[in-house]
Amino acid sequence: MATVLSAESVSKIYKVEGAPEVQAVQNLSLNIEEGEFVCIIGASGCGKSTLLNMFAGFSKPSSGRILLKGQPIEGIEPRCGMVFQSYALFPWKTVRGNVEFGLKMKGKDAASRRQIAERFIEIVGLKGFEDRYPTELSGGMQQRVTLARILAADPEVLLMDEPFAALDAMTRQVMQEELLRIHEANKKTTVFITHNIDEALILADRIVVLSTRPGKVKAIMNNDLPRPRHITIQLSNEFNERKNEIWSHVEEEVRKHVNIQN
Amino acid sequence: MTAKAAGSSALGFQPVAKGGSSSARMKLSMLLSLLSVLAFLGIWTFVTEMHIVKPVFLPSPLSVLKEAASLVQSGELWVSILASSKRVFSGFFLAAALAVPLGVLIGVWWPAKAIVDPFISLLRPLPSITWIPLSILWLGIGEAQKIAIVFMGSWVYILLYTVESTKRVDPILIRAARNLGAGDLTVMKDVVLPGALPGIIAGLKVTLAISWSCVITAEMVAAQNGLGALIWTAKDWGNMPLVLVGMVCISLTVLVADWIMLRLERLLLPWERNRRA
Ligand SMILES: Nc1ncnc2c1ncn2[C@@H]1O[C@H](COP(=O)(O)OP(=O)(O)OP(=O)(O)O)[C@@H](O)[C@H]1O
Ligand SMILES: [Mg+2]
Repeated sequence: MATVLSAESVSKIYKVEGAPEVQAVQNLSLNIEEGEFVCIIGASGCGKSTLLNMFAGFSKPSSGRILLKGQPIEGIEPRCGMVFQSYALFPWKTVRGNVEFGLKMKGKDAASRRQIAERFIEIVGLKGFEDRYPTELSGGMQQRVTLARILAADPEVLLMDEPFAALDAMTRQVMQEELLRIHEANKKTTVFITHNIDEALILADRIVVLSTRPGKVKAIMNNDLPRPRHITIQLSNEFNERKNEIWSHVEEEVRKHVNIQN
Repeated sequence: MTAKAAGSSALGFQPVAKGGSSSARMKLSMLLSLLSVLAFLGIWTFVTEMHIVKPVFLPSPLSVLKEAASLVQSGELWVSILASSKRVFSGFFLAAALAVPLGVLIGVWWPAKAIVDPFISLLRPLPSITWIPLSILWLGIGEAQKIAIVFMGSWVYILLYTVESTKRVDPILIRAARNLGAGDLTVMKDVVLPGALPGIIAGLKVTLAISWSCVITAEMVAAQNGLGALIWTAKDWGNMPLVLVGMVCISLTVLVADWIMLRLERLLLPWERNRRA
Protein backbone atom coordinates (compact mmCIF):
# COMPACT_ATOMS: atom_id res chain seq x y z
CA MET A 1 0.00 0.00 0.00
CA ALA A 2 1.19 3.45 -0.87
CA THR A 3 1.29 6.28 1.60
CA VAL A 4 -1.02 9.07 0.46
CA LEU A 5 -0.74 11.63 3.23
CA SER A 6 1.98 11.96 5.78
CA ALA A 7 2.87 14.24 8.63
CA GLU A 8 6.59 14.25 9.41
CA SER A 9 7.48 15.58 12.88
CA VAL A 10 4.87 18.27 12.54
CA SER A 11 4.50 21.00 15.15
CA LYS A 12 2.12 23.92 15.11
CA ILE A 13 2.40 26.95 17.34
CA TYR A 14 -0.26 29.65 17.22
CA LYS A 15 0.97 33.14 17.94
CA VAL A 16 -1.78 35.59 18.68
CA GLU A 17 -0.97 39.17 19.54
CA GLY A 18 -1.59 39.98 23.15
CA ALA A 19 -2.03 36.34 24.17
CA PRO A 20 0.44 33.65 25.14
CA GLU A 21 1.37 31.41 22.24
CA VAL A 22 -0.36 28.08 22.02
CA GLN A 23 1.35 24.91 20.96
CA ALA A 24 -1.48 23.00 19.34
CA VAL A 25 0.49 20.11 17.83
CA GLN A 26 3.89 18.82 18.86
CA ASN A 27 6.25 16.66 16.88
CA LEU A 28 3.50 14.57 15.36
CA SER A 29 4.21 11.93 12.73
CA LEU A 30 1.52 9.96 10.99
CA ASN A 31 1.14 8.13 7.68
CA ILE A 32 -2.19 7.67 5.98
CA GLU A 33 -2.23 4.80 3.49
CA GLU A 34 -4.16 4.62 0.26
CA GLY A 35 -7.78 3.55 0.65
CA GLU A 36 -7.54 3.64 4.40
CA PHE A 37 -10.17 5.03 6.78
CA VAL A 38 -8.37 6.64 9.72
CA CYS A 39 -10.20 8.04 12.71
CA ILE A 40 -8.49 10.55 14.96
CA ILE A 41 -9.83 10.87 18.47
CA GLY A 42 -8.72 13.13 21.27
CA ALA A 43 -10.00 15.54 23.87
CA SER A 44 -11.45 18.89 22.87
CA GLY A 45 -8.76 21.43 22.04
CA CYS A 46 -5.99 18.86 21.57
CA GLY A 47 -5.19 19.98 18.03
CA LYS A 48 -7.31 17.70 15.84
CA SER A 49 -8.73 20.45 13.66
CA THR A 50 -5.30 22.04 13.52
CA LEU A 51 -3.83 18.84 12.11
CA LEU A 52 -6.62 18.44 9.59
CA ASN A 53 -6.23 22.07 8.48
CA MET A 54 -2.60 21.38 7.75
CA PHE A 55 -3.54 18.31 5.72
CA ALA A 56 -5.87 20.50 3.67
CA GLY A 57 -3.18 23.15 3.22
CA PHE A 58 -5.15 25.83 5.08
CA SER A 59 -2.23 26.42 7.40
CA LYS A 60 1.43 25.55 7.35
CA PRO A 61 3.20 23.60 10.10
CA SER A 62 5.52 25.68 12.28
CA SER A 63 8.04 22.93 11.79
CA GLY A 64 8.04 19.55 10.08
CA ARG A 65 6.42 18.67 6.76
CA ILE A 66 3.10 17.56 5.39
CA LEU A 67 3.34 15.45 2.24
CA LEU A 68 0.65 14.46 -0.23
CA LYS A 69 1.88 11.56 -2.34
CA GLY A 70 5.43 12.48 -1.43
CA GLN A 71 5.10 16.13 -2.42
CA PRO A 72 4.98 18.91 0.19
CA ILE A 73 1.59 20.63 0.28
CA GLU A 74 1.84 24.20 -0.95
CA GLY A 75 -1.32 26.16 -0.27
CA ILE A 76 -4.90 25.00 -0.25
CA GLU A 77 -5.14 21.55 -1.73
CA PRO A 78 -8.33 20.66 -3.67
CA ARG A 79 -7.23 17.01 -3.78
CA CYS A 80 -7.90 16.88 -0.01
CA GLY A 81 -11.59 17.71 0.32
CA MET A 82 -12.65 19.06 3.68
CA VAL A 83 -15.87 18.66 5.61
CA PHE A 84 -15.74 21.57 8.04
CA GLN A 85 -16.70 21.33 11.69
CA SER A 86 -18.55 24.64 11.21
CA TYR A 87 -20.28 23.63 7.94
CA ALA A 88 -18.91 26.52 5.80
CA LEU A 89 -21.83 26.43 3.40
CA PHE A 90 -22.34 29.33 1.01
CA PRO A 91 -25.39 31.12 2.44
CA TRP A 92 -26.27 32.63 -0.94
CA LYS A 93 -26.45 29.28 -2.67
CA THR A 94 -29.25 26.78 -2.34
CA VAL A 95 -28.59 23.22 -1.21
CA ARG A 96 -28.28 22.27 -4.86
CA GLY A 97 -25.99 25.22 -5.60
CA ASN A 98 -23.72 24.28 -2.73
CA VAL A 99 -23.51 20.64 -3.73
CA GLU A 100 -22.87 21.54 -7.38
CA PHE A 101 -20.08 24.00 -6.56
CA GLY A 102 -17.17 21.55 -6.66
CA LEU A 103 -18.51 19.95 -9.83
CA LYS A 104 -18.71 23.36 -11.46
CA MET A 105 -15.08 24.00 -10.53
CA LYS A 106 -14.21 20.76 -12.28
CA GLY A 107 -15.87 22.06 -15.43
CA LYS A 108 -18.77 19.59 -15.47
CA ASP A 109 -21.72 20.65 -17.63
CA ALA A 110 -25.00 21.72 -16.07
CA ALA A 111 -26.90 18.52 -16.79
CA SER A 112 -24.36 16.14 -15.26
CA ARG A 113 -23.83 18.53 -12.33
CA ARG A 114 -27.49 18.43 -11.58
CA GLN A 115 -27.66 14.68 -11.88
CA ILE A 116 -24.67 14.03 -9.61
CA ALA A 117 -25.82 16.60 -7.07
CA GLU A 118 -29.26 15.05 -6.98
CA ARG A 119 -27.76 11.66 -6.23
CA PHE A 120 -25.73 12.86 -3.26
CA ILE A 121 -28.51 15.03 -1.92
CA GLU A 122 -30.63 11.90 -1.88
CA ILE A 123 -27.90 9.87 -0.18
CA VAL A 124 -27.70 12.35 2.70
CA GLY A 125 -31.48 12.32 2.99
CA LEU A 126 -32.21 15.85 1.83
CA LYS A 127 -34.37 15.10 -1.17
CA GLY A 128 -37.03 17.78 -1.39
CA PHE A 129 -34.77 20.43 0.14
CA GLU A 130 -32.75 21.14 -3.00
CA ASP A 131 -33.99 24.70 -3.36
CA ARG A 132 -33.69 25.72 0.27
CA TYR A 133 -31.00 28.07 1.49
CA PRO A 134 -28.69 26.85 4.28
CA THR A 135 -30.15 29.23 6.87
CA GLU A 136 -33.50 27.57 6.30
CA LEU A 137 -32.14 24.19 7.43
CA SER A 138 -31.38 22.77 10.86
CA GLY A 139 -27.75 22.37 11.96
CA GLY A 140 -27.78 18.65 11.28
CA MET A 141 -29.23 19.19 7.82
CA GLN A 142 -26.56 21.78 7.04
CA GLN A 143 -23.90 19.33 8.10
CA ARG A 144 -25.33 16.78 5.71
CA VAL A 145 -25.19 19.32 2.90
CA THR A 146 -21.47 19.81 3.48
CA LEU A 147 -21.08 16.05 3.31
CA ALA A 148 -22.97 15.87 0.04
CA ARG A 149 -20.96 18.79 -1.31
CA ILE A 150 -17.64 17.09 -0.70
CA LEU A 151 -18.79 13.64 -1.81
CA ALA A 152 -20.04 15.16 -5.06
CA ALA A 153 -16.74 16.98 -5.59
CA ASP A 154 -15.03 13.59 -5.28
CA PRO A 155 -11.55 14.61 -4.07
CA GLU A 156 -8.75 12.05 -3.77
CA VAL A 157 -8.68 12.28 0.02
CA LEU A 158 -11.59 13.05 2.34
CA LEU A 159 -10.88 15.07 5.45
CA MET A 160 -13.78 15.16 7.88
CA ASP A 161 -13.84 17.25 11.02
CA GLU A 162 -16.48 15.81 13.34
CA PRO A 163 -19.01 15.73 10.54
CA PHE A 164 -21.70 13.99 12.57
CA ALA A 165 -21.24 15.83 15.85
CA ALA A 166 -24.29 18.04 15.33
CA LEU A 167 -26.61 15.21 14.32
CA ASP A 168 -29.13 13.55 16.57
CA ALA A 169 -28.30 9.98 17.59
CA MET A 170 -30.63 8.38 15.05
CA THR A 171 -29.61 10.46 12.05
CA ARG A 172 -26.05 9.94 13.11
CA GLN A 173 -26.38 6.17 12.85
CA VAL A 174 -27.97 6.41 9.46
CA MET A 175 -25.19 8.71 8.26
CA GLN A 176 -22.52 6.41 9.66
CA GLU A 177 -24.05 3.56 7.77
CA GLU A 178 -24.16 5.61 4.57
CA LEU A 179 -20.54 6.58 4.99
CA LEU A 180 -19.58 2.95 5.60
CA ARG A 181 -21.37 1.94 2.44
CA ILE A 182 -19.78 4.74 0.41
CA HIS A 183 -16.34 3.99 1.73
CA GLU A 184 -16.61 0.27 1.18
CA ALA A 185 -17.70 0.96 -2.39
CA ASN A 186 -15.07 3.54 -3.39
CA LYS A 187 -12.30 2.86 -0.85
CA LYS A 188 -11.47 6.52 -0.70
CA THR A 189 -8.68 7.52 1.65
CA THR A 190 -10.38 9.22 4.59
CA VAL A 191 -9.22 11.02 7.71
CA PHE A 192 -12.12 11.40 10.11
CA ILE A 193 -12.08 13.29 13.38
CA THR A 194 -14.45 12.34 16.15
CA HIS A 195 -14.96 12.55 19.89
CA ASN A 196 -16.87 9.34 19.83
CA ILE A 197 -15.16 5.99 20.35
CA ASP A 198 -18.13 4.02 19.03
CA GLU A 199 -18.13 6.06 15.86
CA ALA A 200 -14.40 5.48 15.41
CA LEU A 201 -14.81 1.74 15.88
CA ILE A 202 -17.70 1.53 13.45
CA LEU A 203 -15.93 3.47 10.70
CA ALA A 204 -12.17 3.15 10.98
CA ASP A 205 -9.50 0.80 9.74
CA ARG A 206 -7.11 2.52 12.11
CA ILE A 207 -7.73 4.67 15.15
CA VAL A 208 -5.24 7.32 16.21
CA VAL A 209 -5.53 8.58 19.78
CA LEU A 210 -4.06 12.04 20.34
CA SER A 211 -2.84 13.26 23.70
CA THR A 212 -4.16 16.45 25.28
CA ARG A 213 -2.61 19.66 24.02
CA PRO A 214 -0.06 19.83 22.58
CA GLY A 215 -1.36 17.04 20.36
CA LYS A 216 0.95 14.08 19.90
CA VAL A 217 0.17 10.57 18.79
CA LYS A 218 -0.58 8.74 22.00
CA ALA A 219 -1.59 5.39 20.53
CA ILE A 220 -2.52 3.86 17.20
CA MET A 221 -4.82 0.88 17.03
CA ASN A 222 -5.68 -1.31 14.11
CA ASN A 223 -9.38 -1.89 14.00
CA ASP A 224 -9.76 -5.32 12.42
CA LEU A 225 -13.52 -5.61 12.86
CA PRO A 226 -14.59 -7.40 9.68
CA ARG A 227 -15.89 -5.52 6.64
CA PRO A 228 -18.38 -4.97 5.18
CA ARG A 229 -19.58 -3.65 8.47
CA HIS A 230 -22.97 -2.73 9.63
CA ILE A 231 -23.72 -0.47 12.57
CA THR A 232 -25.17 -3.42 14.46
CA ILE A 233 -21.54 -4.37 15.01
CA GLN A 234 -21.82 -2.18 18.09
CA LEU A 235 -23.66 -5.03 19.76
CA SER A 236 -20.85 -7.58 19.35
CA ASN A 237 -18.34 -8.66 21.98
CA GLU A 238 -15.33 -7.87 19.83
CA PHE A 239 -16.61 -4.34 19.55
CA ASN A 240 -16.80 -3.90 23.29
CA GLU A 241 -13.37 -5.41 23.90
CA ARG A 242 -11.86 -2.86 21.53
CA LYS A 243 -13.87 -0.10 23.04
CA ASN A 244 -12.41 -0.90 26.44
CA GLU A 245 -8.93 -0.96 25.03
CA ILE A 246 -9.31 2.47 23.44
CA TRP A 247 -10.92 3.86 26.53
CA SER A 248 -7.91 2.81 28.58
CA HIS A 249 -5.77 5.04 26.35
CA VAL A 250 -8.21 7.88 26.21
CA GLU A 251 -9.25 7.96 29.84
CA GLU A 252 -5.95 9.25 31.11
CA GLU A 253 -5.98 12.06 28.54
CA VAL A 254 -9.54 13.01 29.26
CA ARG A 255 -8.77 13.20 32.97
CA LYS A 256 -5.78 15.42 32.27
CA HIS A 257 -7.93 17.63 30.10
CA VAL A 258 -10.63 17.93 32.72
CA ASN A 259 -8.04 18.83 35.35
CA ILE A 260 -6.62 21.51 33.11
CA GLN A 261 -10.06 22.98 32.76
CA ASN A 262 -10.65 23.07 36.52
CA MET B 1 -53.13 40.92 39.85
CA THR B 2 -51.28 39.83 36.76
CA ALA B 3 -54.44 40.02 34.67
CA LYS B 4 -54.99 43.53 35.87
CA ALA B 5 -51.43 44.53 35.16
CA ALA B 6 -51.66 43.15 31.65
CA GLY B 7 -54.93 44.77 30.76
CA SER B 8 -55.28 48.03 32.55
CA SER B 9 -52.22 50.12 31.88
CA ALA B 10 -53.70 53.39 30.77
CA LEU B 11 -50.76 54.23 28.56
CA GLY B 12 -50.97 50.93 26.68
CA PHE B 13 -47.70 49.61 28.05
CA GLN B 14 -47.62 45.89 27.63
CA PRO B 15 -45.69 43.35 29.65
CA VAL B 16 -42.99 41.82 27.45
CA ALA B 17 -44.32 38.30 27.86
CA LYS B 18 -47.74 39.14 26.52
CA GLY B 19 -48.16 37.60 23.07
CA GLY B 20 -51.00 39.58 21.53
CA SER B 21 -51.81 39.17 17.87
CA SER B 22 -49.23 41.07 15.89
CA SER B 23 -51.65 41.99 13.12
CA ALA B 24 -53.96 43.64 15.63
CA ARG B 25 -50.95 45.49 17.01
CA MET B 26 -50.04 46.57 13.49
CA LYS B 27 -53.51 47.97 12.81
CA LEU B 28 -53.46 49.81 16.08
CA SER B 29 -50.05 51.30 15.44
CA MET B 30 -51.12 52.38 11.96
CA LEU B 31 -54.17 54.03 13.46
CA LEU B 32 -51.98 55.81 16.00
CA SER B 33 -49.66 57.06 13.26
CA LEU B 34 -52.61 58.31 11.26
CA LEU B 35 -54.05 60.10 14.29
CA SER B 36 -50.75 61.75 15.06
CA VAL B 37 -50.46 63.06 11.48
CA LEU B 38 -54.06 64.30 11.54
CA ALA B 39 -53.49 66.00 14.87
CA PHE B 40 -50.39 67.69 13.50
CA LEU B 41 -52.25 68.91 10.40
CA GLY B 42 -55.12 70.02 12.61
CA ILE B 43 -52.91 72.13 14.84
CA TRP B 44 -51.11 73.53 11.81
CA THR B 45 -54.41 74.47 10.17
CA PHE B 46 -55.72 75.96 13.39
CA VAL B 47 -52.76 78.21 14.15
CA THR B 48 -52.47 79.44 10.56
CA GLU B 49 -56.17 79.91 9.74
CA MET B 50 -56.73 81.71 13.06
CA HIS B 51 -53.74 83.94 12.23
CA ILE B 52 -52.02 82.97 15.47
CA VAL B 53 -48.98 82.54 13.24
CA LYS B 54 -48.68 84.95 10.33
CA PRO B 55 -48.80 83.37 6.85
CA VAL B 56 -45.43 84.94 5.95
CA PHE B 57 -43.86 82.82 8.63
CA LEU B 58 -45.82 79.67 8.03
CA PRO B 59 -48.37 79.20 5.23
CA SER B 60 -51.48 77.19 5.97
CA PRO B 61 -51.82 73.58 4.77
CA LEU B 62 -54.62 74.71 2.51
CA SER B 63 -52.44 77.21 0.67
CA VAL B 64 -49.72 74.57 0.34
CA LEU B 65 -52.27 72.16 -1.12
CA LYS B 66 -53.49 74.84 -3.56
CA GLU B 67 -49.94 75.56 -4.62
CA ALA B 68 -49.26 71.84 -5.10
CA ALA B 69 -52.43 71.39 -7.15
CA SER B 70 -51.57 74.22 -9.50
CA LEU B 71 -48.04 72.87 -9.84
CA VAL B 72 -49.33 69.41 -10.66
CA GLN B 73 -51.74 70.88 -13.17
CA SER B 74 -49.09 72.90 -14.96
CA GLY B 75 -46.87 69.82 -15.02
CA GLU B 76 -44.05 71.78 -13.44
CA LEU B 77 -43.85 69.46 -10.46
CA TRP B 78 -43.14 66.38 -12.53
CA VAL B 79 -40.53 68.23 -14.52
CA SER B 80 -38.75 69.18 -11.29
CA ILE B 81 -38.96 65.73 -9.78
CA LEU B 82 -37.78 64.14 -12.99
CA ALA B 83 -34.88 66.58 -13.37
CA SER B 84 -33.61 65.94 -9.84
CA SER B 85 -34.16 62.18 -10.08
CA LYS B 86 -32.17 61.95 -13.29
CA ARG B 87 -29.23 63.76 -11.73
CA VAL B 88 -29.32 61.62 -8.60
CA PHE B 89 -29.60 58.45 -10.58
CA SER B 90 -26.72 59.31 -12.92
CA GLY B 91 -24.36 60.47 -10.18
CA PHE B 92 -25.27 57.62 -7.86
CA PHE B 93 -24.93 55.04 -10.60
CA LEU B 94 -21.52 56.34 -11.66
CA ALA B 95 -20.36 56.41 -8.04
CA ALA B 96 -21.51 52.82 -7.48
CA ALA B 97 -19.95 51.66 -10.74
CA LEU B 98 -16.60 53.02 -9.59
CA ALA B 99 -16.75 52.40 -5.87
CA VAL B 100 -18.14 48.85 -5.66
CA PRO B 101 -15.47 47.14 -7.79
CA LEU B 102 -12.76 49.36 -6.31
CA GLY B 103 -13.99 48.56 -2.80
CA VAL B 104 -13.92 44.83 -3.41
CA LEU B 105 -10.41 45.15 -4.81
CA ILE B 106 -9.27 47.16 -1.79
CA GLY B 107 -10.88 44.64 0.52
CA VAL B 108 -8.96 41.70 -0.90
CA TRP B 109 -5.73 43.24 -2.16
CA TRP B 110 -3.70 45.36 0.21
CA PRO B 111 -1.67 47.38 -2.36
CA ALA B 112 -4.91 48.83 -3.72
CA LYS B 113 -5.78 49.91 -0.21
CA ALA B 114 -2.40 51.56 0.25
CA ILE B 115 -2.79 53.48 -3.01
CA VAL B 116 -6.34 54.71 -2.43
CA ASP B 117 -6.33 55.20 1.35
CA PRO B 118 -4.76 58.69 1.48
CA PHE B 119 -7.31 60.05 -0.97
CA ILE B 120 -10.19 58.56 0.95
CA SER B 121 -8.93 60.12 4.15
CA LEU B 122 -8.69 63.55 2.53
CA LEU B 123 -11.91 63.42 0.50
CA ARG B 124 -14.19 61.92 3.09
CA PRO B 125 -14.44 64.97 5.38
CA LEU B 126 -15.27 67.30 2.48
CA PRO B 127 -18.99 68.13 2.23
CA SER B 128 -20.10 67.85 -1.38
CA ILE B 129 -21.02 71.54 -1.38
CA THR B 130 -17.33 72.43 -1.24
CA TRP B 131 -16.95 70.96 -4.73
CA ILE B 132 -19.39 73.45 -6.20
CA PRO B 133 -16.88 76.20 -7.14
CA LEU B 134 -14.44 73.81 -8.81
CA SER B 135 -17.15 71.80 -10.52
CA ILE B 136 -18.69 74.99 -11.98
CA LEU B 137 -15.26 76.11 -13.16
CA TRP B 138 -14.62 72.77 -14.86
CA LEU B 139 -18.07 71.77 -16.03
CA GLY B 140 -20.17 74.94 -16.20
CA ILE B 141 -23.63 74.89 -14.64
CA GLY B 142 -25.18 72.19 -16.82
CA GLU B 143 -26.22 68.64 -16.03
CA ALA B 144 -22.66 67.34 -15.82
CA GLN B 145 -21.90 69.66 -12.93
CA LYS B 146 -24.91 68.48 -10.89
CA ILE B 147 -24.06 64.87 -11.59
CA ALA B 148 -20.49 65.51 -10.54
CA ILE B 149 -21.63 66.94 -7.20
CA VAL B 150 -23.77 63.86 -6.56
CA PHE B 151 -20.87 61.66 -7.59
CA MET B 152 -18.37 63.41 -5.32
CA GLY B 153 -20.76 63.27 -2.40
CA SER B 154 -21.55 59.57 -2.84
CA TRP B 155 -18.64 57.51 -4.01
CA VAL B 156 -16.57 57.62 -0.83
CA TYR B 157 -19.44 56.26 1.27
CA ILE B 158 -20.17 53.47 -1.17
CA LEU B 159 -16.48 52.65 -1.20
CA LEU B 160 -16.18 52.53 2.58
CA TYR B 161 -19.23 50.31 2.95
CA THR B 162 -17.98 48.00 0.22
CA VAL B 163 -14.49 47.69 1.71
CA GLU B 164 -15.90 46.98 5.14
CA SER B 165 -18.36 44.34 3.94
CA THR B 166 -15.71 42.72 1.77
CA LYS B 167 -13.42 42.35 4.76
CA ARG B 168 -16.22 40.79 6.77
CA VAL B 169 -16.75 37.90 4.39
CA ASP B 170 -16.13 34.79 6.47
CA PRO B 171 -12.63 33.55 5.54
CA ILE B 172 -13.74 29.97 6.05
CA LEU B 173 -16.03 30.35 3.03
CA ILE B 174 -13.06 31.41 0.93
CA ARG B 175 -11.17 28.39 2.21
CA ALA B 176 -14.09 26.13 1.42
CA ALA B 177 -14.30 27.48 -2.12
CA ARG B 178 -10.58 27.01 -2.73
CA ASN B 179 -10.77 23.57 -1.20
CA LEU B 180 -13.42 22.75 -3.79
CA GLY B 181 -11.07 23.92 -6.53
CA ALA B 182 -11.98 27.59 -7.01
CA GLY B 183 -9.34 29.96 -8.40
CA ASP B 184 -8.82 33.65 -7.54
CA LEU B 185 -11.39 34.94 -10.00
CA THR B 186 -14.10 32.50 -8.93
CA VAL B 187 -13.43 33.30 -5.29
CA MET B 188 -13.93 37.01 -6.05
CA LYS B 189 -17.02 36.50 -8.17
CA ASP B 190 -18.73 33.60 -6.39
CA VAL B 191 -17.68 34.12 -2.78
CA VAL B 192 -16.40 37.59 -1.92
CA LEU B 193 -18.95 39.50 -3.97
CA PRO B 194 -22.10 37.63 -2.85
CA GLY B 195 -20.72 37.47 0.69
CA ALA B 196 -20.28 41.24 0.74
CA LEU B 197 -23.47 42.02 -1.15
CA PRO B 198 -25.82 42.46 1.83
CA GLY B 199 -23.40 45.01 3.31
CA ILE B 200 -22.87 46.71 -0.04
CA ILE B 201 -26.60 47.09 -0.57
CA ALA B 202 -27.04 48.43 2.95
CA GLY B 203 -24.38 51.00 2.08
CA LEU B 204 -26.10 51.89 -1.18
CA LYS B 205 -29.34 52.50 0.69
CA VAL B 206 -27.70 54.90 3.11
CA THR B 207 -25.77 56.61 0.33
CA LEU B 208 -28.85 57.12 -1.81
CA ALA B 209 -30.28 59.51 0.78
CA ILE B 210 -26.94 61.33 0.83
CA SER B 211 -27.02 61.58 -2.98
CA TRP B 212 -30.39 63.27 -2.73
CA SER B 213 -29.17 65.90 -0.35
CA CYS B 214 -26.22 66.52 -2.70
CA VAL B 215 -28.44 67.17 -5.69
CA ILE B 216 -30.71 69.52 -3.75
CA THR B 217 -27.70 71.51 -2.59
CA ALA B 218 -26.30 71.70 -6.09
CA GLU B 219 -29.65 72.81 -7.51
CA MET B 220 -30.08 75.50 -4.88
CA VAL B 221 -26.77 77.06 -5.82
CA ALA B 222 -27.05 77.00 -9.57
CA ALA B 223 -29.81 75.36 -11.58
CA GLN B 224 -32.77 76.24 -13.78
CA ASN B 225 -34.88 73.28 -12.70
CA GLY B 226 -35.13 70.50 -10.18
CA LEU B 227 -36.61 70.43 -6.70
CA GLY B 228 -33.73 72.37 -5.16
CA ALA B 229 -34.11 75.16 -7.72
CA LEU B 230 -37.86 75.14 -7.17
CA ILE B 231 -37.42 75.80 -3.47
CA TRP B 232 -34.75 78.42 -3.98
CA THR B 233 -36.65 80.47 -6.56
CA ALA B 234 -39.82 80.20 -4.45
CA LYS B 235 -37.85 81.67 -1.60
CA ASP B 236 -36.73 84.57 -3.78
CA TRP B 237 -40.34 85.32 -4.67
CA GLY B 238 -41.39 84.97 -1.07
CA ASN B 239 -43.70 82.10 -2.05
CA MET B 240 -43.58 80.07 1.16
CA PRO B 241 -46.32 77.60 0.16
CA LEU B 242 -44.19 76.65 -2.83
CA VAL B 243 -41.15 76.18 -0.60
CA LEU B 244 -43.14 73.73 1.50
CA VAL B 245 -44.44 71.92 -1.57
CA GLY B 246 -40.83 71.46 -2.65
CA MET B 247 -39.81 70.11 0.74
CA VAL B 248 -42.68 67.65 0.89
CA CYS B 249 -41.85 66.50 -2.64
CA ILE B 250 -38.24 65.83 -1.68
CA SER B 251 -39.38 63.71 1.25
CA LEU B 252 -41.83 61.74 -0.85
CA THR B 253 -39.38 61.21 -3.71
CA VAL B 254 -36.67 59.93 -1.37
CA LEU B 255 -39.22 57.60 0.24
CA VAL B 256 -40.09 56.22 -3.18
CA ALA B 257 -36.39 55.79 -3.95
CA ASP B 258 -35.95 53.91 -0.65
CA TRP B 259 -38.84 51.67 -1.50
CA ILE B 260 -37.32 50.88 -4.88
CA MET B 261 -34.03 50.01 -3.18
CA LEU B 262 -35.87 47.70 -0.82
CA ARG B 263 -37.45 45.88 -3.75
CA LEU B 264 -34.07 45.64 -5.40
CA GLU B 265 -32.58 44.24 -2.23
CA ARG B 266 -35.17 41.48 -2.07
CA LEU B 267 -34.51 40.66 -5.68
CA LEU B 268 -30.74 40.53 -5.23
CA LEU B 269 -30.60 38.77 -1.87
CA PRO B 270 -33.07 35.90 -2.12
CA TRP B 271 -31.15 33.94 0.52
CA GLU B 272 -32.02 36.51 3.15
CA ARG B 273 -35.72 35.93 2.59
CA ASN B 274 -36.25 34.03 5.84
CA ARG B 275 -34.40 36.63 7.90
CA ARG B 276 -36.87 39.24 6.73
CA ALA B 277 -39.94 37.21 7.53
N1 LIG C 1 -6.35 30.12 14.51
C1 LIG C 1 -5.96 29.91 15.78
N2 LIG C 1 -5.28 30.87 16.45
C2 LIG C 1 -4.88 30.67 17.71
N3 LIG C 1 -5.08 29.55 18.41
C3 LIG C 1 -5.73 28.55 17.80
C4 LIG C 1 -6.22 28.68 16.46
N4 LIG C 1 -6.84 27.53 16.12
C5 LIG C 1 -6.76 26.74 17.19
N5 LIG C 1 -6.09 27.33 18.21
C6 LIG C 1 -5.78 26.74 19.52
O1 LIG C 1 -5.14 25.53 19.28
C7 LIG C 1 -5.64 24.52 20.13
C8 LIG C 1 -6.13 23.34 19.33
O2 LIG C 1 -7.28 23.75 18.59
P1 LIG C 1 -8.05 22.77 17.61
O3 LIG C 1 -9.12 23.55 16.98
O4 LIG C 1 -7.08 22.12 16.71
O5 LIG C 1 -8.65 21.71 18.64
P2 LIG C 1 -9.58 20.44 18.36
O6 LIG C 1 -8.83 19.26 18.80
O7 LIG C 1 -10.08 20.44 16.99
O8 LIG C 1 -10.77 20.70 19.39
P3 LIG C 1 -12.34 20.37 19.23
O9 LIG C 1 -12.48 18.91 19.45
O10 LIG C 1 -12.96 21.15 20.34
O11 LIG C 1 -12.77 20.81 17.88
C9 LIG C 1 -6.71 25.16 20.98
O12 LIG C 1 -6.14 25.46 22.24
C10 LIG C 1 -7.05 26.43 20.28
O13 LIG C 1 -7.34 27.45 21.20
MG1 LIG D 1 -11.92 20.78 16.12
